[in-house]
Order: sequence, then C-alpha cells, then structure tokens
Amino acid sequence: MRNQSRYLLLITILLAIYYLVLGIHLNHLGYISQEAMFYIEKTKIVVDGLGNRLKVMGLTAPILPFYASFIFSAISAPLAPVIASSIITAVLFFLIGSALMRRAKDEFYLFILLIIFIFHPGILYAACSGKSIALVMVFFFMFFFNLIKFYNSNTTFHVSIASISLVLLIFCDYKFIWLTLFFIPLVLSITIKSLNLGEQESIFRLFISFNNPSLRRKLINKTFALYIILFVLPLACIVCYKLLNLTHAQDLNYFSESPYATWTVLADKLSFDQLSTSTVYQIPETSILISARVLLFCPLILVAIYLFRNSMYQVLTLLTPFAFIEFLHIKYEKVFLAQEYYLIFVVLALLCILYKAQTIRNQTILKTIVGVLTLVQLYTGYIFLKNSSLTEEKNFITVLLNREPDTHQDENRQLANYINHLPEGAHVLVDDAIAFPIVAFTRDKKDLQRLTLPYQNTYLSAIEAPDKYDDYILLASEKNEVTGFTQLNNKYIPVVKKANSALKLHRVYETSDWVLYKVYE
Amino acid sequence: MSIPELLVNDGFISRQDREKINDLSATTGQSFIKIALNFGYISRKNYERSLTNAGYVFQPIRELAHDADVLSKIELKFADQHVALPLRIENGRVITVMADPSNQLFIDFIRFTYDCEPEIILASDLDITWLSHKLTGDKYVKSAVFELLNRDPNSSAFITFSTGQLAFLFILLGLVTIGLVVSFKNTSIIINILISSFFLVAILFKLFLALMGSRFELHQAVTREDLREIVEDELPIYTILLPVYKEDKLIKKLIWNLQALDYPREKLDVKLLIEEDDDKTLNAVRNLDFPAIFEVVVVPFHMPKTKPKACNYGLHFARGKYLTIYDAEDIPDTDQLKKVVSMFGKLPSNYICIQSALNYFNRNENFLTRMFTLEYSYWFDYMLPGLDTLDIPIPLGGTSNHFKLENLVELGAWDPFNVTEDADLGLRAYAKGYKIAVINSTTYEEANNEPINWIRQRSRWIKGYMQTYLVHMRNPVALWRKLGWKGFLGFNFFIGATPLTFLVYPFLLAIFISYLVFDLSTIRTLFPDWILFMSIFNLMVGNILMIYINMMAVFKRRYYELILFSIANPVYWLMHSVAAFKGLYQLIVKPFYWEKTEHGLSKVNNPTNIVK
Repeated sequence: MRNQSRYLLLITILLAIYYLVLGIHLNHLGYISQEAMFYIEKTKIVVDGLGNRLKVMGLTAPILPFYASFIFSAISAPLAPVIASSIITAVLFFLIGSALMRRAKDEFYLFILLIIFIFHPGILYAACSGKSIALVMVFFFMFFFNLIKFYNSNTTFHVSIASISLVLLIFCDYKFIWLTLFFIPLVLSITIKSLNLGEQESIFRLFISFNNPSLRRKLINKTFALYIILFVLPLACIVCYKLLNLTHAQDLNYFSESPYATWTVLADKLSFDQLSTSTVYQIPETSILISARVLLFCPLILVAIYLFRNSMYQVLTLLTPFAFIEFLHIKYEKVFLAQEYYLIFVVLALLCILYKAQTIRNQTILKTIVGVLTLVQLYTGYIFLKNSSLTEEKNFITVLLNREPDTHQDENRQLANYINHLPEGAHVLVDDAIAFPIVAFTRDKKDLQRLTLPYQNTYLSAIEAPDKYDDYILLASEKNEVTGFTQLNNKYIPVVKKANSALKLHRVYETSDWVLYKVYE
Repeated sequence: MSIPELLVNDGFISRQDREKINDLSATTGQSFIKIALNFGYISRKNYERSLTNAGYVFQPIRELAHDADVLSKIELKFADQHVALPLRIENGRVITVMADPSNQLFIDFIRFTYDCEPEIILASDLDITWLSHKLTGDKYVKSAVFELLNRDPNSSAFITFSTGQLAFLFILLGLVTIGLVVSFKNTSIIINILISSFFLVAILFKLFLALMGSRFELHQAVTREDLREIVEDELPIYTILLPVYKEDKLIKKLIWNLQALDYPREKLDVKLLIEEDDDKTLNAVRNLDFPAIFEVVVVPFHMPKTKPKACNYGLHFARGKYLTIYDAEDIPDTDQLKKVVSMFGKLPSNYICIQSALNYFNRNENFLTRMFTLEYSYWFDYMLPGLDTLDIPIPLGGTSNHFKLENLVELGAWDPFNVTEDADLGLRAYAKGYKIAVINSTTYEEANNEPINWIRQRSRWIKGYMQTYLVHMRNPVALWRKLGWKGFLGFNFFIGATPLTFLVYPFLLAIFISYLVFDLSTIRTLFPDWILFMSIFNLMVGNILMIYINMMAVFKRRYYELILFSIANPVYWLMHSVAAFKGLYQLIVKPFYWEKTEHGLSKVNNPTNIVK
C-alpha cells in the first residue's frame, strides 16, 4: 500500500509538471483567461498597492481561488493562477487516485483516471487556464465522496466533512449555494432510509413513519438535525461573509454583484450580449437539452447511475447536479453554462466508479464499457470545447491544438506597455471594473502605483478633478462591450468638461476598446 | 448461641447464604458480620432487630474514653475486617466494642494481645467503623494527604505558583504595562492579535479533534461477542470507590444502581467513603431498610477536605485488581465493569486506565441540563476519542475512570491538593509513559440543573485546570520531552487554553458588541480596520465552529431534539466565564478549597441503565 502511494505521488508530481509546462507554454503563446487576469490584478493591488487593500484582500470573490492564486504569486505574479490551477488539478488526481486504490484496488481504473487527466480537454482547460474550476472540482469531489461515505458509515464525521466541503465549494463558486436546494427532499429520503424499520420500500417506510407518533417525532427530529448539520455551516458562513460585505462595502451582495469584487459580472454580461444579439444560433440550451448535453459530454455518468441503481436515495444524490445545472440555466437565463458545470459530472462519474466498481461481478464487461465511454468522453470533451459558446473556452482549444499565438489580449498588453513606459511620476486614472486586464499587465510595483484605482480613497476626487490628481485618463471606447460598467467611458468627457471647462484632453493612445487621454490644464 | 446462628434461626439469613458468607470470610479474612452486612445478605435494621430480640443492647460508643496505648496495638485494617475495636483497659478488662460479640477470633486476639479478658460492648457496625477510623486511621490519612507531596513534590499542587512562574507572570505584566505606557495603541494591537489568534487556533484544534473523534463514533472497543467470552469465575476483584459528602438523599438510589451492575457480588469491593463529620450520610446508611452492598469507610478529618484525599484514603483498603470511582448519583451501564475487564485483557500492558463516557439522565429537565448534556456528549463522545486517536494525553473525567490498582498506587494516586485530580492524574500517567483508553460504555450522571450550583461546580473544574496547568508547566521543556510535541501542544490547547478562553471571552464579546451596537469611535481609533476585521472574523468563525461542534454532538446519542440548543452556546460560555473568574479568584486565595456540588436536585427519575 505504501509503495502504491509513492507510485501515485510520483505520477501526481509528473502530472503537475505536465500541466505546468502546458500552462506556461499556453501563457507564452498569449493565452490568458479573464478570471486569471482578474486574480493577477487583485494580487498586484494587495501586494504593491497603496490604499484600502484590506477590502480587496477580503472581498475579492471567489475568495478561495483568489487566495490559492495569491499564494503562488510569490513564485511569479503573472503565472500564479496557472501554477495554482495546475497543482490543484494534480491534487484532485491524487485524491481520486488514492481513493481509487483504497477501494477499487484495480490498476485498470487508475489507468482510466490517468488517461482522463492527461488527455481530457476539459481537465486540461481546468489545469492550464488559471481558473477556479480545479478547486471547484476538488471540493465537489470531497462533498459527494463524503456524502456517499456517510450513506454507508452513518457517522457524523462524513456528514461534517461534507458540510465543510460544501462551504469551501460555495466559496469557490457562489452558484453552488443552489445545490443545497436539491438536498432538501434528499435529506428526508436519507432519514427515512436510516430509520430502523422492517419495511424496505421507501414510500411505505414514509407512510409508516408518518402514521406512528413516535417514529414521526424521530423522523422530524433527525431530518431537521441532518439539515442543520449539513447546511448550517454554509449558511452561517454566507451570512458572515455578507455581513463583512455590508460593513466594508455597504452592500450585502458586493462580492457577487460588483465588478470590482468578482470577474463573473462582466463574464455573464458578455455571455448575455452574445446570446441576445447573436444571429447565428448554436445548439439551443433549453432545459431538457442541458441534461442531454451532459450525457453527451460525460457518458460515464450513465455507468455511475447504473452502479448505484439499487439505492433510490443514492441515485437521487447523483441526480442533484443535473437538477442543479437545470436550475442554473433557468435562474441565470441567457448565460452560457461554462465548462466547469460539465466537468463536475466527470468527477462525479469517476467517484461512483471508484466507489462501486468492485461490486460488479463481471469486471470484463464493465471495464470494456468504461474504457469505451472514456474514449468517447475524450472526443466529446474536445467537441464541446471546440464548439463552446464562451470565447475563452474556444480559444483555449484552438491555441492548444494549433499552437498559434493567441492575439485576444494583444491590444491590452500593448496599452499596458505604453502606460508602463510613461514618464516617471505620471499618474493614470483607471477604472479596474473593466480595465483589470490592463492593470494585470503592468510590469512592477512602480507601474501599479502610478495608477489611480477605485480601491484608493483618492479615486472619487480624481474622477471629479482629474487634472489635480492624474496626468492621464484611460477611457473605455464606445466599442468596448462592457463600457456600461464604468464611469470612465466616452460619456465622461462632456461631464468632466462641464465641470471644468479649462480642462483639455488629448488622445495619446487608442485601441479598439480603449482611449488614453493626456490631461492638460 | 453465636450471632450467625441467631440470624439463621431468625430466618434473616438462609443456611446456603451462611455457607457462602463463611466461604467468603475464609478467602477475604473478613468477619462473618462484616460480610453479612456489606455484601447484601442482611439489612442493618434486621440485624439490629434480631440481636435486640435476643436480649442484646446496642450502646452509643462515640463518646467513650479510649487509651492510645491500647489502640496502638491494633491495626486499623484488622479492626475494620472484624468490625471491632478495643478502647481501653479498665478493671483488668479490655473494653472492646464489637458488632458481633460472638466473634471468637477477635476475642482471642484481645486475650493474646492485652493479656486480659475483653469486656464487650455491642455497638452498631457503622459506629465502630467511624470510631476505629477516627482513632486509628491517622497514618493512612496522613499518607493520603502527603504521599504524593513527599514522593514527587513537583507533581503536587501543594504549591500553586512556583517561583519561576511568579517571576514569569510579573515580568510579563511589567512588560505589558511598560508597553501600554510607551505605546498604548501598538501594545493593544499586539495583545489583540495574540488573543484572537490563540482563540481561533484553540477552536480549530477542538474542531479537528471532534472530527477525528466522530470518525470512529461507531467503533465498538468492546463488542457483545467479547462480553460473551468472559468467564465469570475468572473475573478479578473489582474495587469501586464512592466518595460522598452529605449525599443522604442519594443513598437509596446508589444501592439500586450498584445492584444493577452485572458483576459477581462477591467479587465486588465497594467502598462508600464518608467524611468523619458527615453524620447525615452515615445515618442514611444506618436507616436503610434493605441490605447494603457496600462497605463504609470513614475518612478521618484532615485538611484539605477534598475528594482525592478521600479516594487516596479508600485506596489503602482496596482489595481489587481494578478500581473505579463513581459518584453517588451515577448510573453506569450494567455491563461496564465486564467491558473494562475485557478491554484491559485486549490492551497492551502500558494501558493503565480506561475512561468511560459520561452523560446525563436528566437532560431534558431545563436549559442548563440540556446545555450540559450537549457539552458532555461532545466531550466524551468526540473529544476524548479524538485525543485517544491522536495519542494526546486524555484529561480524565471525574468518575468512571477504571484503573489498574497497582499502577495507580505506583503513580502516587490522586493529588489531594488538586481540585481536578482526575485531569492531573491522566497527565501524570502519560508523562510516565502509560496510556489511557476510551471505552464504549456510558455512566449517566445528574446534570446540574441549578445555575448557582452549576457555577460552583464549574469554578472548581476551571480552577483545577488552572492548577493542573501550573503544576505541569513548572518545567515546560521537561514536559515537552515527556509528552512529545503532540502531547505538549494538546496539553496546552486543552488544559491551558480552556480557562484562558473563558477568561478572555467576555472581553472579546464586549468589544464586538460595542463595535456592533455603538460603533464606538474609540475602538476604531485604537484598533485599525484590519485588526477589527480579523478579530470579528475570529470571534464569529470561532463561535460558529464551536456551535457546530456542539451540534455534531447530538448525533451519536441521537439527542436530535437538542440540536438547536447549541445556538445558545455563547450564553452558556458566559456562565463559564463567570465560573472561570470565580475559579481564578479562588486559585489565588484558597487554592485547595473544594466547591461542593449539590446532587439529588433533579426531579427526573433515573432511566434504566440496562444495556439492551
């Protein structure tokens, strides 16, 4: 067992190196995700900024991926998100692998796991894009793994760990709070199962429990206790976090609704615009089709459901993520479902296989099916990324396979480069609600400190009287897709000129999204 | 006619029982009457009735004159075994008090020792026990008080603060004062950071322990199969010490609880330890109208008047291979003793103590009993197994800890100057390389249902933790070496952190509430935003986690109805804080004072303790 663990550790290290090499290579080709840029920018502010950095440190969301990236900024600030996601994906492999070795005890499944982690485009995307997907997958795995363990062991330990994992999952992606919604009927089902009754059929167990006063009391008490132990921690943490937002940003939902706190606001807006204005319809993401798309993306989940077919509430548990993504699709209408929400099914399928595969007598057939479906899954994973509605997902696979430079951020880079080379002492007024990519591309502490950003107390004064505080102003052009999220856009000039008619602005640099003005008095 | 014959003729003892008593008498060396009265063969009332009917007259003997020379020739243990005592020589006859005037062996002893005939005065066995311990128990009580102090003064709480500790405390106080004078703001910030971090780490540690413990919540250290394999004839003698003080209301309950124990009666050595001045309890025993199954041991007066002193005294008379302590109101699981014997058989020889879980039978009585139950469930069902798993010293609970007698004696038994002698003993055992295990058996106690009484009890516990911490931290480096880093940190976070968190808690809460309600500008100027952010985070996360840990506690025992009471924990901790400050005050002014907890206040009837 110890030898196997060492073996697994070695593979994990090699895998981490593989992801790192791939991630750094893609980074050199110019590929960088919005989320990664957001973390880089916030890290720069926290490390090198001047002003209320505490708010940035505490209220940047999702907080855990940001902190994970922040830790690695000591190695390299621009590569920190990629290093974090690479290492975390390797850790996920280790977690699944070690559980697999303890339970399934069959190297075939480890081989399948390795194949998926080496070749699955979605996993590669999670590992090399610097996004929070890897961390989401880790906690998603831990949550479901402990929940399924709880079904067997019935110990508080597993349900508590599941609850803690759920907290961590929510702090990696707030949308997972909705997952709790689908556990409400499930917990009742779990309690009914755990009652000591002769009757086996769930519906009759429910009938008996409701008609016997003592059993009814027990059922209600236990169901309630399970709800509490599972959900009180996530809810309490969210309440505390919201209170912190209220006290430090005067807005309970600052972390989820402000573009200064999270990158998803802009991402969702872009997705919305694309869906609203696009004339070319892609596969319509109607409700039923979302689940069908998941089955196409991850056919292994069918094996997972088959493995748990004998237990109704365990099958229900596996179905909750389906309900969850369907719900997301309704709740966040006209927002594309990101790769992350498909990848959780890959994790779930692997979890079920490692948990139950050894119980199937005819291993040859099972292994053949798993092997074939894995290959299908690799292909569908590629197709999904290639045809993704989200630009950065599509870009990833293009850059990965064609190994051609990604030019999407070139303009931002050049603009940042221009700002970096401005004369010593020159200050630039920038709104990082939408200009965070430019801030992320600043070179060093000196370059960052020349920017007047919204986290600083002087920002509002600088907006009112830019000539007193800054030498340059960066404005979003009309073409900029998210121009509405900032005050510093083309509408700013008439307003500021009205206030100070002596103010003169001169265009010094221009890209399709940005215009940099020099301020003259 | 001899007394045994008289009792048989009167029908109070059957012939078979008489044979059993004689057999037991031959193996233990105890007299017939001692066994008859202490092993449940006859009640004291019937014994007195029978003798009175036969013309015997029971005399009051407590005030009788005695001669030290006469007493010096008799060993207390011998007098105790025969329930008889020579008092003085008068008119060429030895005035001897006896519970059984027909005890030929003792009469012969008097003749040979004093070379005169005895003049026998019949007295109640309880009075004779009282008198013999009072008059001849001096060396045992001295040993009970000073044994540990003489043998291992560094482990005794006789000295509360060592010179080094006092120097450390005053230097620290001096530095803090200087710091506050020189830079009030920065010093406050440093203190705040230290306290907040400590608070959070202590709570995270507790969460970790609870999780570790909960992992093995279904683990059965001793299974039913193990119990079935036990051969009754091979069971060892088991000593049960029952230290009581003014527990007259509980004596009847005690007998029922002891009788429910599934252990051969003749292999039980039950000692009811009654203080010399506790006539209430002694009279309650005297007035029992059914047979008692315990032996009364009267603890002569000697300061400090603490439970460990009484236990140490009782230890001198213990006959068992194993020994445990129960409180008067305790209801142990019926198979607890057998489980312990089975577990000791399975464990390596360095395991010298097994701790049973404690819980409460009156949990639904009021708010306080509910909170207490939650606390104990979390402590004994999750925390101690967690410590056990991580091999960190276990602070023993007050009762239901089962020892190997010889190892207990070797350790120097309990420290009479320590008011949580149990926690202290657990640490001393670890320091000597011994181990303590936790067993899947529960003793149900009476939860304190009255706030003042609760604070009294808790202040003693917290004071005891402080004492224990001070005793063992006299030489931290040596302790580190003995316990290892895990044990050392566990000790600091468990024994050291517990009183400290309770002492600090009200201050943190006050700052938090002031900040929240009044938004005091002074606080904002004193502490920068990041400190307040960190402190509030710590306090909130700390409270939430502690509430969560308490919520976990309901699962193992299926006390689901208590889960919401966990939310009231912050209020419950405030009561702890009151007790902690009382304990701190007492630690300074009267460190050995034993705050007596009133028992028998519960109106709830005991549930059955039969293991199904």
